[in-house]
Amino acid sequence: MVVIDCQNLQKKYKGMAALNGITFQLEDHKITGLIGRNGAGKTTLLKILAGFIRENSGEVRVFSNKPFNNLRVSANSILVDDQMSFPDSLTLADILEAAPSFYKRWDAGLAASLFDYFRLNPKQLHFKLSKGAKATFNMIFGLATRCELTMFDEPTNGMDEAVRSDFYRALLKEYIAYPRSILISSHHLAEMEHLLEDILLIHKGKVVLHQSLEEVKEYAVALQGQTDIVEKLTAEKDVLHIKQLDSHRKYAVIKKEDSLGVEGVTIQTVSATDVCMFMTSERKGGIDDVFK
Amino acid sequence: MNLNADSTKPIYIQIAEWIENEIIAERFLSDEKVNSQYQLADLFNINPATAAKGLTILVEEQILYKKRGLGMFVAPEGKSIILEKRRNETLTRMAMELVLEARRLSVTEDELINLIKQENKKCEEEQNNGGN
Repeated sequence: MVVIDCQNLQKKYKGMAALNGITFQLEDHKITGLIGRNGAGKTTLLKILAGFIRENSGEVRVFSNKPFNNLRVSANSILVDDQMSFPDSLTLADILEAAPSFYKRWDAGLAASLFDYFRLNPKQLHFKLSKGAKATFNMIFGLATRCELTMFDEPTNGMDEAVRSDFYRALLKEYIAYPRSILISSHHLAEMEHLLEDILLIHKGKVVLHQSLEEVKEYAVALQGQTDIVEKLTAEKDVLHIKQLDSHRKYAVIKKEDSLGVEGVTIQTVSATDVCMFMTSERKGGIDDVFK
Repeated sequence: MNLNADSTKPIYIQIAEWIENEIIAERFLSDEKVNSQYQLADLFNINPATAAKGLTILVEEQILYKKRGLGMFVAPEGKSIILEKRRNETLTRMAMELVLEARRLSVTEDELINLIKQENKKCEEEQNNGGN
């Protein structure tokens, strides 16, 4: 079943394109990582999918409905981010008590156990929470809704290392016990890639890659060796990244293909993080180009 | 349980190898059920789809077989398939490394073959001596 369907989705802010023709489909019961650099359009996309803001053009469907102002989408999806707002007068305990009337699959037991585990104070007010505690509470809330479509926008911002790794573990445990469609955006692909089935890489408001994590890991290879040999091997190829290592050796990343074995050149794997970084980089040499 | 996330070996291959090692160590016997994709996902802290890919490889190699709705089981000839495969792969890799090193040292093919024959002879002599 297709949970999200976007066709040529566009969104402009004051004439600046945040989304510039996004097209992809998300199938149900997968954990997908939404990856992109700052300003790529991740947050805008998630807000449109959650129905918080409206697209300018193109088509967007969540559970086959237009998400904006749609009750079915609101009841079956949640967007967890650092801007989640709850009534200022409610304590954390009040919020958890009110939640089941909005989310029919709400798991009060899970919410209570996680609340205790992370030692949150039930009498605390949400708007008074520290950055880390707020991120933790919002994550608990998001997991406990058991929404068919659960979206996280940079959920680990503000969390310390231990809480981050607990969060990813809790997310996986929950997903195994109650499969749902999870879309999670992050700057830190490496720390969550073990959880992901698919990667949706966006850059400048467009989809660059939408593949399984395993495919992304095998997307590119790095050639390292004598400058002239590396240059010869990569002459007619689409080079994703290039770096002069020392006076006679070069490092070049190209799309993976067979029969590259040549003496004097070693072939290395390229991590998913590096593939995403190279594919969204303005300069093939990265920051080193600036200092040439 | 930890996998090597930095290894050049994909995670699903590492999962397949872990199950193979369990079979070799006879922690899974033939016709016994192995971990499900969800148990593996929990155990190794990975996405269940990745774990499933590891299981699928073993089904394709006929080391495991699928019983609909029941799970994956060790094939009766599973262990011998793994041993056979590892012998072939390990030997081939070592032969490749041997050839590469010989080339770097400008050892000719005949010299290399003679070296192997010598080593084999030593082993045979040792075996014969041991038998006496």
